[in-house]
Amino acid sequence: MTRRVTPLAGSLLTVIAWSLSLAVLTARVELLFVALPLALAAATLARRSSAPEYSLTCDVSADRVFEGETVTVTISVTAKSALAVVILRGPLPPNTELALGHHRRAMSLRPGETGSCRYEVRAPLRGAHDFSSVIVHVRDRWGMRAWERRHVDRRVVHAYPRVAPLRSLPRPLHTHTSIGDHVSPALGEGIEPGDVRQFAPGDQVRQVNWRASLRLGALYVTQHRHERNADVVLMLDTLAAVGPRHETTLDLGVRAVASLATAYLGRKDRVGLINYGGTIDWVRPGSGRVHYERLADTLLKAAVVFTYVTKDLGFVPARVLPPHALVIAVTPLLDARFTKAALDLAARGFDLVLLVVSPVSVTRATLPTSPINELACRLWTLERRAALAAFRRHGIAVAEWNPPEPLEGALATLARRRARMAIAG
Amino acid sequence: MMRLATAGFALVAFVVPMLTARPRPLIVAGLIGLLLTAVGITALWRWPITVAACVFSIAYAAAVWAAPARPSIGSATAFGLSLLLMLHAAELARCTRRATGAAGIIRSQTVAWLGFTAGTVSTALLVMALAAGFVASIPIGAAPLMAAAGALGTLLALAAMARRPGA
Repeated sequence: MTRRVTPLAGSLLTVIAWSLSLAVLTARVELLFVALPLALAAATLARRSSAPEYSLTCDVSADRVFEGETVTVTISVTAKSALAVVILRGPLPPNTELALGHHRRAMSLRPGETGSCRYEVRAPLRGAHDFSSVIVHVRDRWGMRAWERRHVDRRVVHAYPRVAPLRSLPRPLHTHTSIGDHVSPALGEGIEPGDVRQFAPGDQVRQVNWRASLRLGALYVTQHRHERNADVVLMLDTLAAVGPRHETTLDLGVRAVASLATAYLGRKDRVGLINYGGTIDWVRPGSGRVHYERLADTLLKAAVVFTYVTKDLGFVPARVLPPHALVIAVTPLLDARFTKAALDLAARGFDLVLLVVSPVSVTRATLPTSPINELACRLWTLERRAALAAFRRHGIAVAEWNPPEPLEGALATLARRRARMAIAG
Repeated sequence: MMRLATAGFALVAFVVPMLTARPRPLIVAGLIGLLLTAVGITALWRWPITVAACVFSIAYAAAVWAAPARPSIGSATAFGLSLLLMLHAAELARCTRRATGAAGIIRSQTVAWLGFTAGTVSTALLVMALAAGFVASIPIGAAPLMAAAGALGTLLALAAMARRPGA
């Protein structure tokens, strides 16, 4: 705990010196009496002081929230000695905002008395928010001495990206042997009908297609398609971002990736992640709830790191980018290096889908309405359409997402087209 | 609320010299003091309040100088208390800014201020009684020197208290 004499003591000494000087100069005793209360207050410094004694607890209601949700912080102080003025400064991490109450509270406590401070903090943006430190500032009755202590107790609240429910998802062209939700082109065990053929020894009676058998006069059986899972690698472009604070193309991209990851993991697929930017982070494909947290924790760190260096996807291990994986690249297509990386993946035979977060609509929302801005946005849209058409000519599936339209809408057409391709094998 | 208290004590410090004497320069000095206090309250800066206290002291000294009758010790003590409480209230306002729950502090502080006022008045009466006994024994020629030495001694003692390691 740090202890110091406050600047108020300096102010008092200045006024005392001034009053005494005037008293001596004017030879008037009244001015000595002007200095008397000030001198008496300053004389409290003569008393030996002991550090204030108290106990403090700080509780945060949750350690994991989604963007936009609130956590309640409750700080309690129990005085063991009299605390004339206590000022509590609770944690309010950067990139968070107060939703209710205030994180600073002043109080006066008698021995044994308990005071508390309760407020709600909203985390509007993803991130790991540090709620570790509480600062307690105590002053004596006359404000001459101050004690300050920072109580640090590691407490981090993770604000995960908002997840939108998705039903239409791009279907992988290649599947694994493990059971999942994707209908495979291969025939075998399953519930999805695939083909009808003549009965052969070894076929089970329950596979007999009675309607076809009666019509054709011989026994026919229905073959089913396997239901398999797949590897899906989500590749997030963190090379550049535009847009207003908390709603940049990167923030939107992170939410899209989180939504896609949730949806694919819900279908028992193995999902991996590559943050492609100034630094490359990755998570190997995996499945399950714990794996989602691994992905979400990596997404929390997604940020634009400026660099002139072009990262080569060849450095990414094959375990992270399996050969038959469906790669969904989420990008605003603002940096030519990502375009190059995407084309490189397509050239290497990866099943690539490009989900383009339109920077035009995001930027347009921040600009004042004027004919010039409208014209500029239209020209930009045309340029981007041409760029997307070039991708399509390379055989890459492209979906453009124009926020605030729902992501589901952008994925729906793509999902239908790819479903036909996947079943056709 | 503490800002209001600061303004109230500044007003008292402005009015007390006016009750003693009312020459025009005194009013101007008082108004400058009020202006500095307003700046200090608005910006929650310490130095304008300190300067305002010094300006009010000048105004009071001028009023005492110009007063037709000898002003009372009671009004001088009240003036000194108003300066102290103004400085203290401003400091409290500064350190509790943007904090909730200042009402509890105001309550406990008001009680402390009332107690301190009573203590100061008692001390002033005691000092007056003691001074009346000593005044006859001090030679007239040495009085200014003794007053200056006493004032310097008091200041040095207070400064030493503020600077000692255990303070």
